[in-house]
This record gives sequence, structure tokens and C-alpha cells, in this order.
Amino acid sequence: MQFPHPYRILKIINKRFRSPSQWLALTSIQGRQVSAITSPVVRGRKRRRDQLTLAEFLVFVVPLLIFVVILYGTLIWTFYVSLANWSGIAANYEFAGFKWYQSLFNNIRFWVDVQNNLKWLILGVIPTVFLAIFLAYLLELAPFPAIESYIRTLILYPVAMSFIVTGTIWSWMYEPKRGVFNTILSALGVQSQLTYTTNPSTATYWLILIFIWQYLGFAVIIVQSSFRTSELQEMIEAATVDGASKLRILFSIIIPNIRSGLLVLVSLLLISTLKVFDIVYIVTFGGPGISTDVLSLYMFIATFQQHLVSMGAALGVIIFLIAFIIVIPYTIYALRRWFE
Amino acid sequence: MKKIFALLSALMIFSMILSACAPQTVVQTVVVTEVVTQEVVVEGTPQVKEVVKTVVVEATPEPKKPQLIIFNWWTAPGEREAADAMYEAFKAKYPDVEIIENPTPGGGGVNQRVVLQARMTAGLPPDTFQTLGGAELKAYVDAGQLEPLDDLWAQLDYANKIPGPLAKAVTVDGHPYVVPLNMHIQNILYYNKALFDELQLTPPTNYDELVATCEAIKAAKPDLACIGLGSKEKWGDAFVFDAVFMEEAGPADYVKFYKGELDPATFEPFKRSLEKFQALAPYINTDHAGLTWDQATALLPGGTAAMTLMGTWAIGALEKGGGWKAGMDFGAVTFPQKPERILLFHPDTYGLAKGAPNPETTLKWLEVVASPELQIPTDVIQGGLFARTDIDPTEFPDPIRQELMQYVRDNPDKLILDQHGSIAPSSFTSEYWNVIASFLVQPDVNATIQQVASLFQQFNVKDASAWYQWP
Amino acid sequence: MKSKNITIKIIVILTLILLSFAYLLPVYVMIITSLKSVQEVTVGNYLIPTGSPQFVNYAEVLFGSVRFRSQMLPRLLNSMIISFSVTFLSAFFGGLGGYYLSRSKSTFARVLFILVGIALYMPLQAIIIPLVTLMAKTRLLLTHWGLIVSYLVLNVPLASVLMGTFFLSVPRELEEAAEVDGASKIQTFFRIVTPISMPAYVSVAIIIFTQVWNEFFLALSLSSPSTQTVQVVMAEAKGTTLVLYNLQMAAALISVFVPLLFFLLLGRYFIRGILAGALKG
Repeated sequence: MQFPHPYRILKIINKRFRSPSQWLALTSIQGRQVSAITSPVVRGRKRRRDQLTLAEFLVFVVPLLIFVVILYGTLIWTFYVSLANWSGIAANYEFAGFKWYQSLFNNIRFWVDVQNNLKWLILGVIPTVFLAIFLAYLLELAPFPAIESYIRTLILYPVAMSFIVTGTIWSWMYEPKRGVFNTILSALGVQSQLTYTTNPSTATYWLILIFIWQYLGFAVIIVQSSFRTSELQEMIEAATVDGASKLRILFSIIIPNIRSGLLVLVSLLLISTLKVFDIVYIVTFGGPGISTDVLSLYMFIATFQQHLVSMGAALGVIIFLIAFIIVIPYTIYALRRWFE
Repeated sequence: MKKIFALLSALMIFSMILSACAPQTVVQTVVVTEVVTQEVVVEGTPQVKEVVKTVVVEATPEPKKPQLIIFNWWTAPGEREAADAMYEAFKAKYPDVEIIENPTPGGGGVNQRVVLQARMTAGLPPDTFQTLGGAELKAYVDAGQLEPLDDLWAQLDYANKIPGPLAKAVTVDGHPYVVPLNMHIQNILYYNKALFDELQLTPPTNYDELVATCEAIKAAKPDLACIGLGSKEKWGDAFVFDAVFMEEAGPADYVKFYKGELDPATFEPFKRSLEKFQALAPYINTDHAGLTWDQATALLPGGTAAMTLMGTWAIGALEKGGGWKAGMDFGAVTFPQKPERILLFHPDTYGLAKGAPNPETTLKWLEVVASPELQIPTDVIQGGLFARTDIDPTEFPDPIRQELMQYVRDNPDKLILDQHGSIAPSSFTSEYWNVIASFLVQPDVNATIQQVASLFQQFNVKDASAWYQWP
Repeated sequence: MKSKNITIKIIVILTLILLSFAYLLPVYVMIITSLKSVQEVTVGNYLIPTGSPQFVNYAEVLFGSVRFRSQMLPRLLNSMIISFSVTFLSAFFGGLGGYYLSRSKSTFARVLFILVGIALYMPLQAIIIPLVTLMAKTRLLLTHWGLIVSYLVLNVPLASVLMGTFFLSVPRELEEAAEVDGASKIQTFFRIVTPISMPAYVSVAIIIFTQVWNEFFLALSLSSPSTQTVQVVMAEAKGTTLVLYNLQMAAALISVFVPLLFFLLLGRYFIRGILAGALKG
């Protein structure tokens, strides 16, 4: 059999994948279409041997394997450091047991951080997801198609920016005395008493707002793509014909049917909020006092500023364990999808 | 097909070159001359490989030029000029030495410590690096990263050229490890002179006077914050607290306290100081948590604060940043002056790194650091006092430092280590700042006392600070 | 599903206004402020553009000045060297690994997939201390390679999953045909699979590039004067200089310029990349 010239294949594929939604459908997890385009004959045929030759192993597996080994090697190493007695400039691997974990659990700052991280996990994720569903649905219903691409670009551009830049801009907007928000408010005749990030009891919430602002576009895109499956569209159409209201459709048809998309989104947001470091570092550096401190910032300060390297490692291990728990459901799901 | 491959490999080569150019030179230079290495590449405009190679080839046959690799964190306005003045003074004596500086920005040298630690681990120590005295210095000594300088000190008779407490702050187990080039004083109260003249106020010298002054200012100018504070970096609060605490505890107990010899739970002055500190909160600008020290200092010329408690380095910030003139637009007093006029200080110092590639040049450098020729221009620009007491105080352009320097000459024993070059280990100190900063925004006296007590325990301050002797 | 309903129209328009305000204001303020003089910034009037734009601010930020010591230009080059290298290398290695993961059903592949899957979410905090030690010991820290290798450790697994997702959707009859012709797996991959996967490579590259360019924690922990990235310098500019908002904003604009350019020019791929990244697995 003569196999087609690569350029022709490229053309065919490009035609097939021309619109993003098609491409998405192909790569998406709902992508049953994946099997639809592969011919049944091929699917039925027994695959060639699964074993790789040495050359193939070296080319395909080894590079990835090297980095995976480094990654898990360093993870184990971190755990080892957390059990050692390294506090000072020079490395010290003398075994000290769970001493540093203990001293963390007895430390008020650690518990303040855990509380703040919980605030981030809850308030950084839930509002973002709901806003994203709302916006994505609104875009589906939008009477003017031009609006959709406008809004998409509008809310998506922050994804290309770093938290450092966003943080720099927002911390200026937030300044109580001469910040942008309060200046504008007072120009409008409102004497704003808002103190934003300088008030210890609310500072974290203002930081979370920055996060939501930055991640909203990203969330909308993901929710939108999970709307765009033919099954879901058919169900919505059927319900519309039956005269169901828009809200009913949203709650009883759409939301239950985009669960997998939401699982992905929620996992991603949870991890991002757990790891949050840049925003806090740049806007408040954990202040006022330690009221906005989070685990990752404490980890950095303990390691590089206080030279309590073993304690920093212990914090790193704790952060990893939380992250691990968060991604378990997602990983199981992904694994099933991948090898189904 | 071929085109794609060509394109792909072109891209690959391009990106390889892009990524390789700088690093690869390093590898090559490491082999040729250990020292040139990293610095050659530093400002790395990506050059084509060949070019870099030729540079190396040209460099090797020449006789090795003496070099000095310096690490410091003087990068902010005012500091940068001071660093330049330092190098100029050295060049004046040793014009043929090539100075390779490695400035790592970040106040207090946090970032520098990361880099330095990494280089030391890599077995690539610099010749000399900036460090504070006190606990900070001790950490480097404990890690075995500095050489003792007994011979140099003896040769220069440096112990008799500088105040006793300064010498003690850089001496661990009887060995001096660095050469201090200045002293920064922490507890100075700057005030808006025009405002004080207008309201006919005199600068306060103790806590009660401070409160009275603030009341007067508040009555006359309700919009004005009496004390401008920036606590984003956390230590700003500790400065103010220290001033209150010094007055309550007195110098001897102040030192004992930070050496962990007193129990915060039973040491009454600590509790009283917290309460008095809390009482100052209404006089402090509300946005202090979002401001860094220089932003807070700028509140004075900005007309939104009447006073600020900051170190000598604020003089430069007020003059350069705010366009004010010392003695004309702003005045300064040590605070508190009761029960004694104590100056809380920390020095900037340089030492000889263990394994330094150019030890002879470094000793020459340290000799210059100890000399008036370097200290006069550098300290005048950077904002501290001279480490040497035999320099004429009138070398300072401003009356504030002239007076302080004179006071140090007359009373060298009134110096005590401050929050930066701290008595307690830096791991304790940075945690302590957090506690004090939290206290200011959420005052709970008893909880704070407990926290501080547990910090002393946790970081074993009593043993770790035993080396510090005062008076 | 487009609706002609009047309430929805109103909601849409309200949302539109609100979002426009929330998302345009920061950028607008950033741009006009970056062109102001310090005096103008001090006066206030944040929303009114300046009459005499100070383009010199950008020069000051790029090349440094007495007021703004942290020159951006060398740091931009650092960021570019690091980001481009990481992007290229991780797309390349990731493509290879991803192809294996997408084609093999062996137990080894499954285990590797789980390890890779968790790696995607590995918090940097959990590996930073050994990474810094390792980079210091090998002296890579002093060069761009320190950051490049560190980023590869995280991004090769990411790229392999992203590329693998795409390869899953590539019809296998092409490869089968090639194999029938006697081509080896390696040949098939490079001559058949890679060319048709170019769009996916572009998407993956954009995602990784943006991530690496914007990364801060690792860049800060591993920064040495010669390898500082733009993000680290930005953080410094905010932290230590007097509050020169105009210069800060100019620096911010310069630092977002490259990824934003990609976003505007290659928006389609960008969105695909995000989605592939999000729906990985």
C-alpha cells in the first residue's frame, strides 16, 4: 500500500480540525469522536506487539523517564531533609525525626496559614466556578455573536500575564490613600472607607479577588468547551422544545452533564489556589502581621530567610500531601479515560 | 517533508544556540580560568558561540590580571552611588585590580544569601561579601564560610580605631571575622521641621512626650498621621516597639531580654511596653501594612505624616527621594533619650570568604575598607556613621550625623546591637517581627507575650546568643 | 440556542459593561500611567491620559537610570533564553514521551502515566530545596541551564500529557500503513506523526512558554544576578525603589509584551493549548 504524502495527510487533518470546537471535541474528554474517526477495521485489528526495541525505548521513554526520576527523586529528598536537622547556612543531614513537623504544629503561624489556605481553596474556587458557568451560559444565549469573541478576549488576556504584573497593578489600585479605586470613588463623591489589603481581617479576601479576576477567563473557556458536545446540545434542544425555562435547563440539564468538565476545572483551580505564592508575595508579603500568610510563602521564608531548611522541607511535604489528596479523584478519572 | 525537517532542525539549532551561548562559555571558561567564569557571561547579550570562544582564547595568554569578586546588595538609589564610591577608593590605591561585583538586589540581602549559599555549596565562593554584624555574621561563621582576621586587625590596630561595642559585634569566640565600614543607627525620630515650628513643638525625647506631641498634632491637623510607619517588611513595627521597650526596660535588661535570659511572661516592662505600643496605634498611618520603609519615609515630604522612626539610612531617602534638606526641612533626634541615650546600631561589613580565589587581593581590599579614604565618601553617601571614631565628624554634610558621630566619639559604650544585626539569631528575629507586626494590627497582650516566650524556647535563643557581650 | 429574550439581552449588556470595566480599567490605567511623569502621577487624575507622553520612561526601564536601577533589557534576554529553550526542549521530549504513553497499554506505561499525571500538579515547594542544592552542586545554577533544567523537570511531563492527548486522536491507520511498509516506530513518529501534529505542538509550546515566562517562585529561588528573569526584576522594582508608579507600569508592560503578543497573534492556538492543558487526560 502506498501511503499518502504527508502534506496530503496534513491537509486532511487540517480540514477535519479546522474549527476549534471540532478540535476540542477531538481532544476533549467527551471525545467519543476519537473512535468515530478511526475506522472500525483498524480498531478491530490486533495491535502490533506492545514491546519496544531498545532504540525505541531510548528515544521515546528515556527522556521522559529521566525527568520523572529527577522529579520524584527530589520529592523523596525533600522528605528526607524534613526529617533531618538542617537549620543554618550549611547543610546538615543528621536525623532528627519528626521534630520539625511537631514544631510546626505547635506554631500559631502554621495554623493561621492553614486557615488562609482554606479561605483560598474555598473562596478562590467556588465563586470562580459559578461565575464561569453563568458567563459561559450567557455567552451561549448571547443574542449577538460578536459579543462572544469580544468577551472571550477581554476576560482571557490576564491568563497571558503573570501574577507579579497583576499584583503590581492591583496593589496600586488597592492603596487606601492614593490608590486608583479610592481616588475614583472619591471623585464620584463617595467617601470610601475601604482599606483593602491593609485591613488584617479582610486582606485575604481582596487578594482572592485578584485571583478570581485573573482566572475567570480560563474557567469560562473550559466550561464553554464542555457545553459544546453534541449530546448536550441535543438534550438542551429537546428541553427547549418541551418549553423548559432557561434557568431550569441550566440547573437540571447542563450542570449535571458537564460534571467531568467541572471536575477538571475544580481540580485545576484547587491546585492553583493551594500553590498561591506570587500574589501574596508581591501585594502584602503576608502582612499585615501574618494575616495573609500562606503555606507556600511561609515555606519560602523559612527556607531562604530563616535558614530553617528542614522546617521549610516539612512545609513542602505538607503542601505536597494536600495537593496529592486534591488530585487523586482527578488522576483516577484521567487514567480511566486514557486507557479505556 | 524535507522542508519541515529542515525547518525543525533549524529551529532546534537556533534554540540550542540561544540557550547554549551563555552557559557553554561558562563551562569553557571554568576550565580555563576558574574565576572569570560566571561574570563574563553575566550581562549576556546572546552572542554567537564563536565570538565568545575567541574572547576566551584572547584572554588566556595574557598575564592574569588581579581580580576581586565582591557580593553586595547595595543596588537601591543612594546605595548604588555608595558602592561606586567604595570601588573608587579601592581603585585609587590599586588601579590594576579588576573588580567583579555581583550585586544582588533585595534589602537586607535576603536574595544575596540564597545566591551566596548556592555558590558556596558549588565550591565557587566569592572573595568577599557584604554582611551585617551580630547574629547574621555568626551564622556565616558557624557555617565555616569566613576566615578569622586576627592578623589584619592587629596590623591595623582596628580594635582601637572603632567603638568597643562595634568590635564586639563582629567578634565571635575572640576572633574578629570582618571589617566594619559603617554603623547604622536604628532609633532616630525624624520630624517635619516647618510643622513643629508652626505648632511650636519640641521634638519628643521619651514616650510621654511623644504622646503629648501627637495629641497636639492631632488637634491641629486631624488629617495628618503623627507617626509615619511602613510595616510591609515587618521590621518597621519592631523599630517603634524597640524604642518604647528600651525606655521601659533600660539598656541592660534590653540586652538580657534579647539574649533570652529573661522570661517575657514575668518580665513586667515587656508587658507595659506592649500596652504602650498599642496605645500609639491611633497616631500611626492606617495604611502602614502596605508600605515599605522608604514609602513610609516619603510620607514626611509628602505632607501626610509628621514624624517617622527610622534608621540613619532615611536621611538619604529624605534628601534624595523627598528633596528635603537635613536640619532645614527636617530634624532628627535619638529616641528615646531616657533613661539613657542609647544608640541601637548595626554595621555593614566585609570579610574574607573561606576558599576565596584571590585572598591577597582581598586582604588589600579589607585594608582599604578599614581606611578613612573609603569610609568617608562611602558613608557620607550611603547614610551611616563612620566605623572609625578618629574621622572628623564634620566630614558629614548634615548636622544630624555630625552630632551623632560626636556623641559616639564621646560615649562609645552607648551602642547596642539593633534589630537588623540582631542579638538573637535571625530565625528568631524574623519570627519575632511577625509577632510584633501582628500585635499592632490585632492587639492581644497576653497572647503576644506567650508567643514571644515560645519563640525564645523554640529557637533556643539563650544558647544561640550567649556569644554577645554587652557592655 | 441563541435567544431573542429581552431580559437576557439586558443581562448580557449589563454583564458586558461590568466586565469591560473590570478588565479594561487595569490595563488602561497601566498604559496611561506608564507614559506619565512622576509629578503627574503624584497629582492623581489616574483616568486622564497625559498631554505629553513620556516615552523616555520605557528607555529608562529598559536600560536603567539613576532612578530605576534594575535594567529590564538583560533580564528580558534571560527570560527569552530560558523560556524558548524550555519550550522547545519540553515540546520535543514531551512529544516523544507522549507518543509512547498514547500508544502503549503496558503496565509500565500505566505506572508511568500515573507518575506523570501527579507530576503535573506537583507543587514546586515540595522539590525546591533539593533542586537548589542539586543545581548548586552541579554549578548549573550559575548559568541559564540551572533554570532551564529545573523547568524541564516540570514541563516535560506536562508536554507529554498534552501531546499524548493529541496523539490519542490521531487516526492510527496512518501509522499502521507506514508500519506495513516496514517503517520503524521511530521513523513513523518523525515522518508521519510529527508533521501532522504541528498545530498541537504550537499549542503546547504557547502554553509552556507562557507558564515559564510568568513563573516566579522557582525563578526567585534559583535567581542569580546573571540569570534573573523579568518577573524577579519586576518584584524587585516593586519592592525596593521609591514608588515610581510610572516606571513600574512601564516595566510591567514590557514584561507582559511577549506573552501578550503571542496571545493576540496566536489566540486560536492559545485557547486550544489552555483547553488541552485543562482537559489533559
